[in-house]
Amino acid sequence: MPSSCEVDVRRLPGTVVLVIRGEIDSSASQPLQLAYAGTLGPDMATRVVLDFTAVDYMNSTGIALIVGILAQARAEHRTVAASGLSEHYRQIFEITRLSDFIEMFADVDEAIAITS
Amino acid sequence: MTSNRAEETPQLLAAFTVASEPGNERVALREVAAAAADCGLTKDQMERLKTAVAEATMNAIEHGNENRAEIPVDIAVMRTLDAVAVTITDRGGDRADHVEREIPDIELKLRGEQRPRGWGLFLLQNMVDGMEVSTHGALHTVRLTMRTGGDDEEGARHAEQL
Repeated sequence: MPSSCEVDVRRLPGTVVLVIRGEIDSSASQPLQLAYAGTLGPDMATRVVLDFTAVDYMNSTGIALIVGILAQARAEHRTVAASGLSEHYRQIFEITRLSDFIEMFADVDEAIAITS
Repeated sequence: MTSNRAEETPQLLAAFTVASEPGNERVALREVAAAAADCGLTKDQMERLKTAVAEATMNAIEHGNENRAEIPVDIAVMRTLDAVAVTITDRGGDRADHVEREIPDIELKLRGEQRPRGWGLFLLQNMVDGMEVSTHGALHTVRLTMRTGGDDEEGARHAEQL
């Protein structure tokens, strides 16, 4: 199944933003993991913002992918934030308790402003 | 108590099939959303119903029909006065639904003590007002209900009739 998920990486001082577009399902595994791997390195940002503004669908497999990224980031002593989640997906983050570990912001500017 | 039996009879809004191919859960959720558009669901209820339909259809495709495209998943959308019901039927017969009996725990998952996946059934149960599973021979059906209004007792009574 071809992936409709695309991820752009935006680097800022201390923060890296993964701008996700499309659908987060099983086909999103490779683009998400490749993008995350691209943020690693000796001078890597300690804060990762996942921007969901342009995400129009996310299923339980997509939730698992986010859990995987969160687990990896925590192992690397990085914090993870989320921006642009719709009300429905905010609700899902709360039900799954992802929101206990990922701070949620209305939009990416707000998420970035917290660290600047 | 008086009742209008004609009005309480479930009304079939749509019935369709999707092939058991990954991604077809999105076809299912779009069709269900279109069929239930005039049922009085709030935007939040509609979003939750769509997510539940997608998860149930994914389970039917993967666990029921084992991704065999030639085996269909049957989906029907019905309404009564106070509820919308969606049935999703595969040909997988009786099974332990669905290898997801473990309750997903984010802390265990983050510690690597539970697999990252396993959210599907949990999401399903938390998205709708009712979920029932039944099996008749090879036919395995998940029935989802979402109340559309009225008090809880009355809504539950109508949901049970679907």
